[in-house]
Amino acid sequence: MRKKVIFVLCSLCAVLGFFTILSVNKVLNSEWELPSAVSSEQERKRIVLITQELDTPFWKLVGEGAASQAEREDVGFEIWGSYGKNQEDFLKQVEIALHSKVDGVIVQGNDTDEFQQLARIKAASYGIPIITVANDVPVEKSLRKTYVGSDHYAAGELLMEQLLDDMGDSGEIVLLGDGNLEYSERLRLNGMEESLKQYPEIRSIYIESGSSDEEAAAAAQSALNQHPNVDAFILLDIRQARVVMQEISSRTELEPFFLYSFDDGSDASELLTEGKLDAIIEQSPKEMGAKSVEMMMKWLRNEVVPLDSAGYVTDIRIVEGKDELP
Amino acid sequence: MNTIQKKIWMLAGIVIVMMFAIWLALTFYNQKMQDQYNDILERYLQMNEVTASSQQTVTNLNDHLSNPTARSATTLVSSQQRLQDAQASLLELRNADNEFSLTNYSNMIESFTETVERSVTFSEQGENDIAASEFTEANRMSVYISEMTLSIFNSELRTYERFYRDIIRQSQELNTMGILLLSLTSVLLLLFTYLFSLSITKPVHQLTKAANELAKGRFDQPIRVNSNDEISFLAKTFDHMRVNINKLILEIQQKAQVESELQESQLLLQQSQMRHLQSQINPHFLFNTLNTLSKKAYLDGAEDTSDLLVSVAGLLRYNLKRLDHTVTLEEESHVLRQYMDIQKARFSDRLTFHIDLDASALVYQMPSLTLQPLIENAVIHGIEPKEDDGEIWFRIKDEDQHIRIEIEDNGEGMDRDKIEQLLKGGITPQEGHATGIGFANVAKRLQLFYGRDNVVEIESLPKCGTKIILKLPKVMEVESYV
Repeated sequence: MRKKVIFVLCSLCAVLGFFTILSVNKVLNSEWELPSAVSSEQERKRIVLITQELDTPFWKLVGEGAASQAEREDVGFEIWGSYGKNQEDFLKQVEIALHSKVDGVIVQGNDTDEFQQLARIKAASYGIPIITVANDVPVEKSLRKTYVGSDHYAAGELLMEQLLDDMGDSGEIVLLGDGNLEYSERLRLNGMEESLKQYPEIRSIYIESGSSDEEAAAAAQSALNQHPNVDAFILLDIRQARVVMQEISSRTELEPFFLYSFDDGSDASELLTEGKLDAIIEQSPKEMGAKSVEMMMKWLRNEVVPLDSAGYVTDIRIVEGKDELP
Repeated sequence: MNTIQKKIWMLAGIVIVMMFAIWLALTFYNQKMQDQYNDILERYLQMNEVTASSQQTVTNLNDHLSNPTARSATTLVSSQQRLQDAQASLLELRNADNEFSLTNYSNMIESFTETVERSVTFSEQGENDIAASEFTEANRMSVYISEMTLSIFNSELRTYERFYRDIIRQSQELNTMGILLLSLTSVLLLLFTYLFSLSITKPVHQLTKAANELAKGRFDQPIRVNSNDEISFLAKTFDHMRVNINKLILEIQQKAQVESELQESQLLLQQSQMRHLQSQINPHFLFNTLNTLSKKAYLDGAEDTSDLLVSVAGLLRYNLKRLDHTVTLEEESHVLRQYMDIQKARFSDRLTFHIDLDASALVYQMPSLTLQPLIENAVIHGIEPKEDDGEIWFRIKDEDQHIRIEIEDNGEGMDRDKIEQLLKGGITPQEGHATGIGFANVAKRLQLFYGRDNVVEIESLPKCGTKIILKLPKVMEVESYV
């Protein structure tokens, strides 16, 4: 009896003790991972990349390139911006960045007065360098330090070479573009028009497509109506490519037309593989991102002063659609 | 030595220490948690302070711009000071995750302060338009600051989410631990109490058992108590008492035995004295008569009868006088011869008596009237029942350590039961014996005289005769043995 009682009590003690120790361990050894504190003396440079098209794969690639470069350079880096070309939000972000006195702003150029105002006056008063990337704003308007991205004029010329290869040196082409053209788009247009001057047999018509999908569809309609003999469409804004093509295919066969565009939107590679687009100009977004951060750091470290205000050009190449392949 | 009191104190001490340790640990842990909670709250409060003070600065700035007085300027400065304090404390909140945004935040506040100051300066210079635009700017920045506060709150929540969940889980764990700890402590206390009570009751139980044994009269079992407190002291004393009682009882028993032995020998003495007295009735008359008869027989020419009467008279005299004296073996065997003469006269040819003596043994002493009763027994039981050819052998041999006396007949013999009975004195002598002294009397007297038990042996089988052997130690010169 006595032994039994002692045995039962002892085993109870052992079991309870085991669980208590487990519990105490759990309570005392909490794995609280607080973010490590930062030494306040050594402040890292902070660079912000601001775009108004956070949602497109093109800008995602730019962001990736910039982020990996920032990591290599060991600088604080963040991507800010707005979605779907939200101008207001974009400008606000730029303003916040300037007020926050970041060390450098890499920005998707925006050819508006407000942006130029911010870039010229605010940035200058805070002494913050601005580098435009992918889309440029002329230096005299923005006082940007430099531009990193494609040579859009050359891109226009390159596309025209491809057109001539495909179509021959006579025909009618329609250029569809936003009513409110970006600086880069204007450069493309210029490039194309300049190279077409040598071929009087080719008639080019520029039609404003507006900024919304409906307007783009209407523009495509009127182009087909007014110019029934059109041979090629060139879309300055790839975002409108899908709508325009839908419109064309609802009227007639898509196949006889040559369709070209510039890669800075989401649909480009998809439409290319589907064979609907005949060719696009492909840019190097990752390279742009990396290069822009690199140039910014060079400026901040006073390694290259002044930066080449003409800009640092990244690669462009023409990519043909599938059905063009033999 | 551990006393029971000490044990009780110890138990109480263990309980108190245990409780105190648990209380201390819980208090310490609570304090730690509280500090952590405070830190967390502090973070949010500090950030909120930034928003609140920036908004207040805007309000004060507005008041000051619309109605510039010394008082409004002071309030503006104080609210600015408040904002700067809040900004300074932001530095402590920085970590790897929010370094970027907090730096932005801090700079934003700086820009805001600068804008406010610019606005005030312009206002003082009377350039109210610029002051107003700066005010608008400041107002916008204040809105940005609030928005930034919110977004930092958000990212803080994201960063610290696991931490907060840990805290919640922790407090649940703490509850479980509390319950477990409580039950563990209870069971431990139960165990301690049980062991403690056992350490008191077990010795008491052992002691009770020992006392019961003593009460039943068993004094030979030692009292053992496994304990080291007062009970063990009690047990030792008790055991001491038991040993003493045991000794006393043994002494009493020895005394009683001695007394009973004394009584027995007294009884024997009285018996023999009685017989002595009885047989002294008119001894002189008997002697004279026997002597007269002897002489008469001699004169009448009956010489055998005369010799026989002399033998009877000698035997009678010997019987009467020598019972309480030692005699030599020679004297004893002389009487034996006289007795056998008488018996030969009685049985004539039916009895043949062989005698064989070692002369060297005859000088030793022995109690008187020891051999005669044995011979008498041999005659009565060995010769009387037989028709003829009764034979009796009497031998005395001097052996190294003792004298060996054998009395042998060729009579009926007896079985083992009867021998036992005889040795224990269960058979009383019949009437008609010359001395009336039985075998048991002889054996007893020999044992008393020599102080040893194995003096008398009987060898006998039914129909094969009886042989009585006495082994007597060699004793010289003893006056009296009673």
